[in-house]
Amino acid sequence: MPLFNLSNVSKPVELNYDVAIVGAGPGGLSAAIYAGRAGLKTIVFEKATEGGQILLTDMIEDYPGFTSISGNALADEFLSHAKAFGANFANEEIVEVDLESNPKKLKTDLGNEYTAKTVVIATGSNPKKLGVKGEDEFLNRGVSYCAVCDGSFFKGKRVVVVGGGDSAVEEGLYMTKIANEVTLVHRRDKLRAQKIAQDRAFKSNMKFIWNTVVTEIGGTKNVEYVILKNVQTGETTKHETDGVFIYVGLTPNVEIFKKYIKTDENGFILADDHMETNVKGVYAVGDIRKTPLRQIVTAASDGAIAVIDMTKYF
Amino acid sequence: MAALLSEEDRKYLVDLFEKELKGEVKILFFGSKKKEECEYCELTEQILQELAETSNKITIENHDFDDEEALAKQYNVEMVPAILMLDANGKDMRIRFYGIPSGYEFSSLIEDVIATSKNGAVELSKDTIEKLQDVKSPLKLQVFVTPTCPYCPKAVLMAHKLAMQSSNIVGEMIEANEFPDLSMQYNVSSVPHIIINDGEGEFVGALPEEAFVEQVISVVKEA
Ligand SMILES: Cc1cc2nc3c(=O)[nH]c(=O)nc-3n(C[C@H](O)[C@H](O)[C@H](O)COP(=O)(O)OP(=O)(O)OC[C@H]3O[C@@H](n4cnc5c(N)ncnc54)[C@H](O)[C@@H]3O)c2cc1C
Repeated sequence: MPLFNLSNVSKPVELNYDVAIVGAGPGGLSAAIYAGRAGLKTIVFEKATEGGQILLTDMIEDYPGFTSISGNALADEFLSHAKAFGANFANEEIVEVDLESNPKKLKTDLGNEYTAKTVVIATGSNPKKLGVKGEDEFLNRGVSYCAVCDGSFFKGKRVVVVGGGDSAVEEGLYMTKIANEVTLVHRRDKLRAQKIAQDRAFKSNMKFIWNTVVTEIGGTKNVEYVILKNVQTGETTKHETDGVFIYVGLTPNVEIFKKYIKTDENGFILADDHMETNVKGVYAVGDIRKTPLRQIVTAASDGAIAVIDMTKYF
Repeated sequence: MAALLSEEDRKYLVDLFEKELKGEVKILFFGSKKKEECEYCELTEQILQELAETSNKITIENHDFDDEEALAKQYNVEMVPAILMLDANGKDMRIRFYGIPSGYEFSSLIEDVIATSKNGAVELSKDTIEKLQDVKSPLKLQVFVTPTCPYCPKAVLMAHKLAMQSSNIVGEMIEANEFPDLSMQYNVSSVPHIIINDGEGEFVGALPEEAFVEQVISVVKEA
């Protein structure tokens, strides 16, 4: 990543817009590019750093046009692209919305109230918790959901990675460069990750424990062990470790919209072919949406479709 | 040494500061000549120098932590590299950066320069400002970060804003990798990790303003 990153520097405040985009991940930033080009007065809200979940990964190798690029560098490209076509950015978290009023209202954690004629929900997802004993208790003592953020604390130590999808395998591989011992625990007997990631994992010094779930995270001051349960035999064992990295799926950041917007049983937003939700003028793009694939390329695609459709309101 | 800032970023900063800086900003840097004790002092000094060159409103004062003990003490500087900021009236903004503000934290540094140029006028909700009146004795907020953590600047800026708003609060950024002993002492293994008053309270995560303030105030109330 660039040694000195400027993406968090925010801009002066103006309150009324054509389009408000909530979240500056790839979905929101793609929408911002298209909205800017459509000549719509656009604002993008981001509570953390522009780029979204792509900042949580070391290398990306499946976004067309980039054989291999760091998450950070790709986020930078998306961001400067959106800025080049005039989108405004605010480093504020949306905490409350009124999607029935006209124009729609969005309140931020700084107490500012913005309005917009249309809204794009691009709040993405957060790592899902395992939901086991000790997970919360050891949250700041060895449990992590972000290898690039916290990996450096486990130099020369032992870590367990939980999950079998792309994120678990990719981030596990990242941890093999830092930690002394990386053990991936997966509840099935094979990985769900893309073939190329699997091949790399099997070639690395990563260890695997199959058909097994973590039922408890324990220790005294810091994480010292996990309790593992074999789902076929029911047998439980204690496995010593210094850290636990959890990649077992996603929960949608949908809470503030739930009052207005229809979701599936897991909280993912239901949108039509044009990404419009049950509320006219409100769109959902990227990971937040009920969709068969949650990737950068699909989030970017959603953003484009949403904005092209939205132009009917202007 | 080659410039650390790209030409593009340099131009961006020149422009931004031209528009945003109201008054003068003095940045105090404390470093050490002992390389084995301060791996990043030189690099920190250089990036600050390059930063100062983007606006004539910004000046840098370099100090030696070992030779200028009295001054370090006066500003309560405890380790190096350390950065703090004074506004045009020479008023200490009560913000500290321990360790190099690189990666995402560079943005925090820039935001602080802008706020300092406005004498520490920061945007906070009415609620927060009211609650901060309950802070009547010294309160220290230490935000442990890593440069690659995208959630961390939010927590750093929140701590720094509270410090600028309340004369009893000091807000620190601490680059966890550069201060392993301190990080170990507080069991930092996931960032941002916020330590209140040397351990009277703590929490993990970049909480929104209201929740962040709630955590801080709960320590004040307990005391
Ligand atoms: C570790 C990891 C590795 C991955 N690797 C790859 C890969 O190699 N290739 C690939 O294609 N995909 C990868 N993905 C998936 C990809 O990152 C996501 O599919 C994509 O980022 C989704 O984009 P999005 O815009 O929908 O949401 P997100 O990227 O989640 O962005 C949402 C943004 O909204 C912000 N936000 C949320 N709520 C609010 C609010 N109330 N107010 C303001 N802002 C808010 C969040 O802070 C966040 O920045 C990876 C994911 C992870 C976690």
